[in-house]
Amino acid sequence: MKKQFKFLLIFSVITSLFSSNIFAQASKKADIDTREWRYEIEAVNTGVTGTYLVKAWSYSKKPDVAIEQAKKNAVHGVIFKGITGHSGVSGQGPLATNPNIEQEKKDFFDAFFADGGKYMKFVSSSNDGAIEAEDIMKIGKEYKVGVILSVNAALLRKDLESAGIIKSLSSGF
Amino acid sequence: MKNIYFFLSVILVLAFSLNGFSQAAKPSIMVFPANIWMTTNDYVTTLDNQGTSTQIMDYQKALNNNQELYSVINKIGGLMKDRGFPLEDLAQKLKDIKDANALDNMAQNTEGGGVAESPRDKLLKTARPDIVLEVTWSINTRGPFKSITFDLKGLDAGTNKQVASAGGTGQEVMGAPLPVMLETAVLDQLDNFNAQLMTHFQDMFDNGREVSLNVKVWDNSPKKLNDEINADGDELKDDIKKWVKDNTVKGRYTLASSSPNMMNFTQVRIPIYGEDGAAFDADAFATKLRKYLRKSYQLPAASSAIGLGKAEVIIGGKSQ
Repeated sequence: MKKQFKFLLIFSVITSLFSSNIFAQASKKADIDTREWRYEIEAVNTGVTGTYLVKAWSYSKKPDVAIEQAKKNAVHGVIFKGITGHSGVSGQGPLATNPNIEQEKKDFFDAFFADGGKYMKFVSSSNDGAIEAEDIMKIGKEYKVGVILSVNAALLRKDLESAGIIKSLSSGF
Repeated sequence: MKNIYFFLSVILVLAFSLNGFSQAAKPSIMVFPANIWMTTNDYVTTLDNQGTSTQIMDYQKALNNNQELYSVINKIGGLMKDRGFPLEDLAQKLKDIKDANALDNMAQNTEGGGVAESPRDKLLKTARPDIVLEVTWSINTRGPFKSITFDLKGLDAGTNKQVASAGGTGQEVMGAPLPVMLETAVLDQLDNFNAQLMTHFQDMFDNGREVSLNVKVWDNSPKKLNDEINADGDELKDDIKKWVKDNTVKGRYTLASSSPNMMNFTQVRIPIYGEDGAAFDADAFATKLRKYLRKSYQLPAASSAIGLGKAEVIIGGKSQ
């Protein structure tokens, strides 16, 4: 009995270590995807003052990782990529107009987009994080997941302006 | 002795800081309903100007009677203030003009004929916004559904060039109140508009502020623009062209037209800061030219400006 318990304990520790390692690896891969622009972001609707309601599409072998990564992708997209519009909803240009800013301010953005980093302050789930069935697709070995999120672009812009990352409309005057 | 050194150091530090903190003159922005919106909503007065009917935009009537216009201007004003660009208020400016009896003068001029400036020009001269933000919208109806087509256009009042624009048709919705749809339309378009405005400002910082300059000559001026000034046969206008070239960023300007009595410079790129590090605008540019003419040719001249972008120098005397 004691032997069985010992075996079960060791097995569960190894399994949890292994799975957390896999999750961490998937998460790391998702971060690389974000940096390499491997995501899509589209406008869903016009949000309340200063917010953009967007759908961020992320890729991962694990749907949970893709869902979590969508938050990073949404903020990343609003800063660097801009949002694609569609009929009835205007797209938005990126907050950063300097195309090289991500490399030039690498230290800032590495910390900003780290797990649990400051990016979390500017994004929140819509529909309590519920994802519609058609927004989870299996493509090859990966999942492509679309998550609707609200990004507080006004607050994000102000934060980046005060950090000297982007210029404000009134800078220089 | 120590005190003197300390005092001098403080002065030096202050001088450097003030120089470092000098800022470019901030362009002022005012929202106007576009002419097409004014016409569609019947806020125009048609006047018979010596047989030619002229449409006059009645901004006061529009502001007094149209709640939607008030809301749109208010919303844009709030959002622009949040971006560090408080707008000049059209309603307040109209009131100022009325208080100063300027509207009466406008009416006399428009009815009397021979008006060189439209009432809007008069208003622009008085209000002096550097950027005119024109706004228009229309409501599209399809059965029970409604949508709004909303357009914003930014014009540089000094050069009359379009500096930014944004617009589009929003989603069709059923039952949404019109003020909410309009607010959504403003929110939808203003960030894109501001992004273009920022590009315009960046261009201004990189290549200088674009202004226009008119050089004119009084009838009794001792010198005309085609008078020769040296043995090489250079005329006064050649030297003025050289001065403009030497005093613009990368020597950029266009001489749109010239005659013995006038020179019309456009796309003149003046520096944002003067030699003393202070903000530099069209008025400072015209003043500099006036002083140059006085110093080089002992020519009296008058200089004036409209806003940050239009300047005028009249050679041969001072204005009344």
